[in-house]
Amino acid sequence: MTRAHLLAGLAAIALLGGATATAQRRAMPENARVYILWPPDGATVKGGFWVRMGLSEGGIAPAGIDKAMTGHHHLLVDADLPPLDQPIPNDRNHLHFGLGQTEARLDLPPGRHTLQLLLADENHVPHDPPLASKRITITVLP
Amino acid sequence: MPSTRRHLLLASAAMLPAAAGQAAAQTRAPDHAHAAPAATAAAEAPRPRSAAPKDAYVYIGWPQDGQVISGTRFKVWFGTRNFGVAPAGVTTANTGHHHIIVDAPLPALDRPIPNDRNHLHFGLGQTETMLELPPGVHTLQLLMGDADHIPHDPPVMSKRITVTVRPGRPQAVAASQPQ
Repeated sequence: MTRAHLLAGLAAIALLGGATATAQRRAMPENARVYILWPPDGATVKGGFWVRMGLSEGGIAPAGIDKAMTGHHHLLVDADLPPLDQPIPNDRNHLHFGLGQTEARLDLPPGRHTLQLLLADENHVPHDPPLASKRITITVLP
Repeated sequence: MPSTRRHLLLASAAMLPAAAGQAAAQTRAPDHAHAAPAATAAAEAPRPRSAAPKDAYVYIGWPQDGQVISGTRFKVWFGTRNFGVAPAGVTTANTGHHHIIVDAPLPALDRPIPNDRNHLHFGLGQTETMLELPPGVHTLQLLMGDADHIPHDPPVMSKRITVTVRPGRPQAVAASQPQ
């Protein structure tokens, strides 16, 4: 009896959870914009360099903080946009700034690299509509 | 939340003997009656400031010190290093939210930053803003505040810069190389 209720309850939660995960992605202000303030597209850098992350209209909140009109930055390095209806992967090509950081020091091997910012909510799921910066290309000199 | 308020009340009662009787009386009142007195007590009684790492700092990434700005409306970009940004009310360690002090000296660092036209709050966790200032010379300084708008210990603040605003057409923001 109890177990059956529990199971039914779990199933309902799972269904609801599944539905809300895709249906209820967070919104940001209509005119919000994410951009890479530094480096500029096409820049050539030598050695380590800083990336400055810009967000117009909207706020930054650490991961796990449930607050409307906020999100935290993710930097995609040499990667395409991930699926936008699920949490952003966490690996060397998808850097998370879950403390609410707005800049990062990068050390990339010499060569051409692409950088793109993607804002996401407290669960690392991109907003709807997604807030991604332009994907820029930089060259790292040895 | 009520239990946190009660803790605050107890803490302020301990620190302020004069208020102890009043605070003790309030703890007997129903929970919903606490809000206003507790908030008042918390604002008046200094509480330990939130800690910040020694290497944390903020800086004004734009405009630059000494810059002459054309147009009375211009963007200010908040730089934050070795520290995180969080909206007001969020108590995550090593985070805070920005305040711009315009044409004013640093406020007291052990109490909430005032909220007026000289002390602008960015409690949503904004990392930039558009400022509109009359033509003339102005000073700008960033000061981080914690969940309750109280500066950290040590305070996380920028250099105080001076800009000159000239009437005219707005100019584009030019990114400068971070040091």
